[in-house]
Formats: sequence, structure tokens, C-alpha cells
Amino acid sequence: MPPIRDKFAIHSKAVVCQDVDLKGDITIGPGTVVHPKAAIFALVGPIVIGAGCIIEEAVIIVNRRKDIMRIGDNNLFEIGCRVECPSIGDFNTISTRARVHNTVRMTNHCVVGAQCLVVPAEDETLGEYTCIYGPAADRRIWSGRGQVQEADLRMKHAEYLREMLPKFNRLRRSDGT
Amino acid sequence: MWPNIQYYCPCLSSANALTPPPPILASSSASFHSLHNLYFCEECDAVRCNRCVSVEVSGYYCPNCLFEVPSASVRAEKNRCARNCFSCPICRATLSVVASDPPDDGTGRPITPLNNVGEGPYLLYCNYCRWDSTEVGITFEKPTGLAGTRWLVHFVSNAYIRVVAIDLSSTAQLQKYEDSAPESLEFERLKEHFEPFLRTSSLSSSTHLLPPTSHHLHTSSATAAASAALSRDIPGISKYNPLSRSRSGRDRTANKDEMAEYKSRVEVGLFGQLGSGGDDADVELLRCTETVGEIAKLEQRWGNSWITSLRMSELRPLRIPLHSKVSKRCPACRHILIKPEQKAQSVRYKIKLAAANYLPALSVGFPQTQAAKRALGKGVEPRNVGVMLAGITNNTFRVALTNPLYDPIQVRLSPQRVTDGRGFQVSLPLTPFSIGAFAEAWEYDDDEDMFGVEDDELGLEVGRGSRDKDARGRTKNVGVLERRANVTVVGGEVNVHRSYRGQVKFNMLVSYTYRSDDPLPSEDGAGTPSRAVVKTPEVKTFSFYTVVDLGPVLSKDDSESR
Repeated sequence: MPPIRDKFAIHSKAVVCQDVDLKGDITIGPGTVVHPKAAIFALVGPIVIGAGCIIEEAVIIVNRRKDIMRIGDNNLFEIGCRVECPSIGDFNTISTRARVHNTVRMTNHCVVGAQCLVVPAEDETLGEYTCIYGPAADRRIWSGRGQVQEADLRMKHAEYLREMLPKFNRLRRSDGT
Repeated sequence: MWPNIQYYCPCLSSANALTPPPPILASSSASFHSLHNLYFCEECDAVRCNRCVSVEVSGYYCPNCLFEVPSASVRAEKNRCARNCFSCPICRATLSVVASDPPDDGTGRPITPLNNVGEGPYLLYCNYCRWDSTEVGITFEKPTGLAGTRWLVHFVSNAYIRVVAIDLSSTAQLQKYEDSAPESLEFERLKEHFEPFLRTSSLSSSTHLLPPTSHHLHTSSATAAASAALSRDIPGISKYNPLSRSRSGRDRTANKDEMAEYKSRVEVGLFGQLGSGGDDADVELLRCTETVGEIAKLEQRWGNSWITSLRMSELRPLRIPLHSKVSKRCPACRHILIKPEQKAQSVRYKIKLAAANYLPALSVGFPQTQAAKRALGKGVEPRNVGVMLAGITNNTFRVALTNPLYDPIQVRLSPQRVTDGRGFQVSLPLTPFSIGAFAEAWEYDDDEDMFGVEDDELGLEVGRGSRDKDARGRTKNVGVLERRANVTVVGGEVNVHRSYRGQVKFNMLVSYTYRSDDPLPSEDGAGTPSRAVVKTPEVKTFSFYTVVDLGPVLSKDDSESR
């Protein structure tokens, strides 16, 4: 395996803390917040994170495939979750200590509940509004009611973090600038 | 799990037999409890366990909103929270009341930031599995008040909880829905039907002699009332009484004549078609089922008060069942052993006579012996294989005793002799030894060596150390090994016979002498004189039994091969 070449492109409006473990070719979009102690590893292919995402502490995002791992906008990765999905859409929530395997592709408005394991053996795409919950990782389809409020809350959440995190953490800047 | 020590509560043994059953009997485990589960009655000067205390409900509260429900309304509200607490029918999480989304302008995003107050209709929403109450057609016009125009109306803001909760007329509309279930109505009707009859019969039964009360000698009025209620004659069902069978039979016929015939609300045949649909409908549903997911799981249904649909999509939110706080009383003297604070928010106790505050805490362990090291060296937890080796005379173990009292105590251990030749002998220091007094300060600097904490002022000169001298010559295993703060560690040995297999488990009597501050029977109790032997006016002795489990015996060959 060739050595991993680090290449970080962090948007000037993104908030990425200094104490973040980045490896490989990573692009972070505007308004995205990355808490300290998060780890983003582009082991083979690059990782592209969209706008307005929140990546909390001890989150691990790994791309083991050759293709670009695309993460859309306004996703929330809660503390200690581990995500290896090749693609993620918009407005998804991956809750605390959940784990999503690299066989799963997520579309939009999906929710993976706390500590749920989503590790299907074969490739799978989670449809829109899929909700995975409970100790047995049961699934149901969310009606979508309340999504406007949730989206609004997500944006306020990110906005607050963008304001508060720089007060207590050193920020990382794009290595090009 | 072993090694461990459990404490004996004599409540299961026959009267006056204070020695515990032999620990080798499987049934003996019911008499032994861990220390933190035990209470201590100061009046009786005795250990009480959860099995023998009498339990009283001291209050009901909702575990979600922590509202204390007056016991009068518990029954009316059918043991469930009548405020804004609902659990998700799918995943049991607590539901929250949310406003509907503003009308979509096509872009999917609100143009202006939403303010906190949303717009109706309001719905119940599960933050965990994203179920919402519109799926079963429940929405509310207002987040506050109880207009009840549709199903129920409740509130978003916590500020309203108290206001509404105080207003007793405002029971949840969902309860009204529950109450309108055919089963519920039928039950109410039955109650109504039998009520005049029950009243007359309770009047007549109160004139009867009180039925023989429970086996306990001391029963409070509450338990007496309860047992009276249990043994009261149920109209129509005569109490089994072979002597007066004919008479009660006559009573019954007389009662039958008095009672009007009961007509059910609906015909029995029709009943199934109301409500949940009955058996036929269920069978039909199961026939048409395509996936298992359509059928509600057992755990989603058994919390319901009444029969609900089998269909997952028709499950309704449940009001959250109430919890209760209980207080416990000594079975003998009726004094309260533990009593929680009334407030649901508080986790403190008004009275708490835990045995851990009276009896020295014993814990047993193994030193890093050769056997244990051997087991560890093989990568096996010594817990899983056993440390005691057969055919070895000095299997060592240690007992650490912690004194909870503010005065030093003298402890004497006397392991019960194993009489049936089970093949192991226990040697422990049999002379009394002292344990230092408890002081809060030691909780902060526990590493400090507190050697020389002697308790000569107690006036009891002890033969401490005599055993130590005996044991000199070889490495000291039996005797007081360590003494610091309010902890004393004593070592013991087990001589296991070559052929013995099984658990090393023995009873041990622990007596301790403590100073009671005042000679009057109060503080640490000078209760029954038979139990508390008074040596001097100020010093008392208390004894209790424990069972020590040192785990299974390992044969030498086993351990070598392992």
C-alpha cells in the first residue's frame, strides 16, 4: 500500500479543531464543525464532507474504498460513532456510539439510533427517512413530520458551535493557506 | 461468584434457632444476603432482610414527570400518569409533544427561522424511533389546556405541567379513550352491579369474628386490614369451610335471590366485534400477513391495560405507569427500617437503618499465593478455576473487616466446625482482635498507615498477637496481618483433604464488642438481653452469622495439567 499523502482542504468558514486526527485527502465544506478528538481517515480514496455537518468528539470516519467518500450537507455525527459509508446524503443523524459499515450507503434524512450496529454483509442503500433504532437495530420509515423543525434545530446547533468552539479551541486551517 | 461473604438473616429459621443451615445445602442460600441488602432494627437489636420486612407504599409518582400522585387518584387514573407522559408504542421511549411543521413552501426549508412556539395541530412524537401520533390519527388542537376536541390535548411547555396537574378535573383525554374501551365499560358496569351487594356483605362480614390473621405475631392495623380483606367472603363464592358448608350454602342461595340478574352491555357473541376485533379478526389478520413486522411484538402489547390490536400500525401511545416509593418496617416491633423522602425528586431517605452502618463489613480475598499465580501464569483467571488445592494444608485466604462505628470494636471470629467430615478444616485467628474506629477523615487519606491505633481505653485487654507468635517459624498466614484506619485484615488457612472435591464454604460466627454511649436502650440498641450480653454497663456484644465461600477445590493433578 502506498503511503498516505495528506492533503487537507478546509473551507475558510469551517470550524475544525486543532486536536483532530486527519489522514489522507480530505475536503471539508463551509460551515462544517469538527470537534476535537474526532478522526477522519481517508485511507485509500479521498473524503469530501459537505456544508453544515457536525462531527462530534471521538467520531471516526473512514474511507477504505478507492472511490471518493461523499458526505452531504447538514449531517450530524454524534459522539463516538463510527462511519465507513461510501456515500451519505443530507440531514442524516448517526447517534452516539452507532456503527455503520462500509456496505451501507445512506440517502437523506436517515437516523441511526444510539449504539445501533448497521453491518449488513451485502451492499445496501438506506432509503430516505429510514430510522434504525433499538438494541436489535429495528427499522422503520419516518413519516417526515417534524423534519422542518429538526432541520432548523440542526442549523441553529451548528451555528452555535461555530460561534462557541473557536473560543475554547485552536482551529486548524487548510494546509494550502 | 466467589470468594465472597454473605450475612445470615434468621427470619427463615424456626424460632430460637439462631444457627444458620449448613451452607452445603442449596436451600441455605435463601437465608444469606449481601450486607448492603440488609437492615438493622435498633429496637430488636437484630438483622432484618428484604424477605422478612413488611413493605408499605409511601407514595406514588410518575417516573417521567416526577409528579407525586395522591393515592386517592391513583385508582381513578388507573395507575398511569394522567399528565403529559406517554410512552412510544413502538420503542417504549417517552414521547414529546411537538408542533406541526409550517406549511412547506416548496423548497423544503423555512424562509425565516422558526420561533419556539410552533403551530397546531400538535402531535406526540418519539425522538428515538420517529414514530408520531398522526400515524394512529391522534392530533391536538392546542398544546395547552384540555379542549379534547379530537383525542387529547396536552402541552409542550413544562411550565404548564403543574398548573394542569393541580386541576384534578383535567384528566388526560387518552384516559377517557381508555375508559371508553368496551372492556373497561363492561368492567365498570360489573362493579356497579356488584357494589350494593358488596356493601351489604362487607357490613355483615364486619360483624363476624375477625378471620385468623397471618402467621406473624405482630401485625399492624394495615396488614390486619389487608388480610381481613383477603379472607373476606366474596359474594357468590363461599369460603371453603367444611364445618359450615351447609350454612354457607344457604347463604349463597339467599344471596342469589337478592341479586338482580346481570346483563352485560353487549351480547357475548357481539363482544368480539367491538374493540380489537376478536379472535376471528386476529386469525384473518394473521392469514393476510406478509411480513413479521406488521404484527406487534409481545413487549409492545403487554404493557397495555386492555386488549389492543395485533397490528403494529394500530398501536396507540400509552400513558406511563406510575411507580411507588415504599418504606419497610421491622416485622417484630413495627419500627420503620427505611423510609424514603416523600418528594419524588429526592433520592434521600428520612430513616435508613442499613446493616452496613452497624455491622463490620467483611470481605474475603486471596493473597497472591502460589496457586493463584500458577493459575494466572496459565492465562486463566483464578476466579474461574479455583484457588483452593486439595491435599494442601495451608491454602491461605484473607478476611478484611471494616468497622463502620465511631468507636473501636473487638471482633472474634469463630468458624463453625464442619462435623460431617467433608474434608477441610479452617483455621482463623480465634482470639479477639481490634478494629480501629471509623472517621470521615480516613476516607480522604486512606493510604496513610494508621498503625498503632489501639483501643486500650475500651478496657478490654485482648490476647492480640498470641496467635502471631504461634505462627512464627513459618511465614505468618494465620492471624492479624494488617491494620490500618478502620480496617483490619486477618489471614486464615484451609486444610483441604486430598480426596475432597466441592466448594469450600463454611459458616462463621462473628461477634463484636462495642461501646454503647449510654447504658439506656437506645443508640446501638440494648434490646433483648439474651442477644446483647452486657459485660460492663458500657460494653455490649453482638453476634451474627456469615457464610464464607472460597470457591471450588482444585485437585493437584487438574492444576498441573492445566
